[in-house]
Amino acid sequence: MKIVFKIWRQVNSKSQGGFETYEVDGLTEDMSFLEALDYLNERLVQRNEKVIAYEYDCREGICGQCGVFINGRAHGPHDNITTCQLHMRSFKDGETVVVEPWRAAAFPVIKDLVVDRSAFDRIIEQGGYISARTGTAAEANAILVGKEVVDRAMDAAACIGCGACVATCKNASAALFTAAKINHLNSLPQGKPEASNRVLEMTRQMELEGFGSCTFTGACEVECPEEIPMINIAEMNARRVKAKWLGK
Amino acid sequence: MFLRKTIIALTGLFLCIFLIVHLSANSILVLPEEMARGLYNSYSTTLRESPLIKIVAYVLYLSIVLHVIYALLIVLNNRKAKSKRYLLNRNRENSSWTSQNMGLLGIMILLFIVVHLANFWARIKLGLGENVALDANGHVDVYEVTYSLFRNIYYVVFYTILMIPLGLHLNHGLKSAFKTLGFYHKKGLRVLAKISLVYAAVMAVGFGLIPFIVFLK
Repeated sequence: MKIVFKIWRQVNSKSQGGFETYEVDGLTEDMSFLEALDYLNERLVQRNEKVIAYEYDCREGICGQCGVFINGRAHGPHDNITTCQLHMRSFKDGETVVVEPWRAAAFPVIKDLVVDRSAFDRIIEQGGYISARTGTAAEANAILVGKEVVDRAMDAAACIGCGACVATCKNASAALFTAAKINHLNSLPQGKPEASNRVLEMTRQMELEGFGSCTFTGACEVECPEEIPMINIAEMNARRVKAKWLGK
Repeated sequence: MFLRKTIIALTGLFLCIFLIVHLSANSILVLPEEMARGLYNSYSTTLRESPLIKIVAYVLYLSIVLHVIYALLIVLNNRKAKSKRYLLNRNRENSSWTSQNMGLLGIMILLFIVVHLANFWARIKLGLGENVALDANGHVDVYEVTYSLFRNIYYVVFYTILMIPLGLHLNHGLKSAFKTLGFYHKKGLRVLAKISLVYAAVMAVGFGLIPFIVFLK
């Protein structure tokens, strides 16, 4: 199949950047989107042109590296998937496909489709960890946690930090990411000692990084590959109010 | 930003409550004239003379001003956070148009409020424009002010059409305010979404219909 790629090219964070069009023939419907980009890059190498920079790691939908904006949607036209899980059969033969990097002031473009997501790391550094020694598996099992709590914590913990929530949000809000990280640890007994500081410090860092505010459009939960629901943001808000005004 | 969002949520909720009272009072207007005129005028006189309502009125003015100012600050900050836009953005597929355009809807409502205040508040409270007559009971004839305004079809259309952005803004705003304040009960939020929709529909249809009924009477 043939696809006309319209891809954002940018030499480095300081340069302007712009769209380049590439007509690619010989793709198959079974190719993943990343394989199609690989295929295009091989053609570029043959033509002695600069390859397109994009990120990937696991190619099985669990690492969160392959974040790009495809045809107006984070990770392409389907809900709740990563780019590596998107296949070319989702596009029509001869279709023009626009590929852009994540757009957010807090995620500056490094090169082409690669953005700097280290703002997420700095949010994590403010409390996305626990200081309690959890010991061995046997010791961990001795701490009783209710099934409902475990399920909720696990759902939030599923966040792979891909940044689709920020990318799709009209305000470039990192509320879903930060909420997932906070709720995951704050709902478990091991996370309790730092619970109050965690929510205050992580939300503070989130604002310092230049992310916008959440206005509950709900776009994030539709694009999140882990289907983390937006209710987590309301829960984070509740935890923040409690920590701020009640000190717990 | 959290404080700003909280202020927007709280003032928004106060304005939501105000609208219920406002619509209840407006519905007097559709009663037969002999009943409606006396009732409506004595009601509005009572409101103007009550010291308690005076305080509520100031809270109301303050709420509108704070809601607008803090929304503006949030929007400016959000724009800065999303300085570069996508060439192609299919956000219709992942979120409602309303949720993406609360600012635009807010501006339309603000425009409505300005005209609405000029039509009523400026004449009755500030005494600007044409003198307002008294009715048979010696009350300021607000009923007549309303009926004379809505003899003009342009005003009827303006008042009715601008209730569409009001309804949309309320539908997204009411449920979001609760989430901003930290309400995260799963079933509760589903019920809240339905309440928001019904509330917004009642407000938009109620406020939008009354000028038409007045015009036709």
